[in-house]
Amino acid sequence: MKNTFQIGILVVCAAAFLMAGLNLSFGGAPAYTDMDDYMLAHGQEETGSNNIVTGVVFDYRGFDTLGEATVLFTVVLGAGLVFRRLGKKEDEYEYE
Amino acid sequence: MIELIVHILLLAGLVISACMVWYMDDLISAAIAFGAFSFLLSLEFLMLQAPDVAIAEAGIGAGLTTAIFVIAIRGTDKDGGCV
Amino acid sequence: MNMSSLVRSGGANIMMPFILVYGFYIVVHGHLTPPGGGFQGGAVIATAVVLLMVAYSRAEVRASVSKNVLKNSETLGLLLFIGTALLALTAGLAFFGNWLLDAGTLFGTPVAFGINPPGDINTGGIIPVLNIAVGIEVLGAMGILLLAMLGGMKGDAE
Repeated sequence: MKNTFQIGILVVCAAAFLMAGLNLSFGGAPAYTDMDDYMLAHGQEETGSNNIVTGVVFDYRGFDTLGEATVLFTVVLGAGLVFRRLGKKEDEYEYE
Repeated sequence: MIELIVHILLLAGLVISACMVWYMDDLISAAIAFGAFSFLLSLEFLMLQAPDVAIAEAGIGAGLTTAIFVIAIRGTDKDGGCV
Repeated sequence: MNMSSLVRSGGANIMMPFILVYGFYIVVHGHLTPPGGGFQGGAVIATAVVLLMVAYSRAEVRASVSKNVLKNSETLGLLLFIGTALLALTAGLAFFGNWLLDAGTLFGTPVAFGINPPGDINTGGIIPVLNIAVGIEVLGAMGILLLAMLGGMKGDAE
């Protein structure tokens, strides 16, 4: 009973992932190209950067990069909190 | 044609190194196999013409993550305590 | 000092400048060449810290890499990022507006549409500034994570 329940969940999840995967477009041709075309046509003049990827990441999508930097800062904060208790027992390399 | 062969070799290497991570009993060997997996993945990203992602994967996946794994494995024993 | 540690430290001394120069090149040329950007360059520079930890003993790493410098560089990177974005408000633009673009000052040369392979490093507006900010932030974050992990180990890593 329990086994068939698990197999049923597995089949449903596999079908969902397969449908989502089949809806992706293979071969490098995205389904909707309006934003891509605009950025390729105007990005070099509007951001002043020859590298369109950097232009998109740091100019058009600046808020994403700000969030990424904040996530990295928070990760270091958490790691410092964890390793502070570990280093306190001896005079090992203390993280303050 | 040569590009297809390189793709197939890289993908086969990815699957083999991923299986090696699962198969290894020694944790250090598994960490090194994971580093090889990351390196092959960065080569595959480079083949797919995404050099940004490739250099990030090579730096973080193959360099920093392997170092962090090795340090963590050397700092603990098999029962999870500190050495 | 035995033979193998001599080989390791000698190899690390030869490799170190190349890794650092490559990382700074990726950070500074982020708006010109395709494998560029602050995040990737910072990760490549942080790999130099890994190389130091591979080659030298823990006391030597502790003496040569300062934890305070890494911590301050991380905070400074995030503050420079947010400050550069906030200064756009004084120029009458929105938050993250490109207030240095085409201004003729620092990084202010206009770019025409088309293929110009060598590129001009004096372009891009605030993008190079943000690249450098994210680069030193990622460098500090990764280095401090590695040093914190190394500090959790007891006994020498030799």
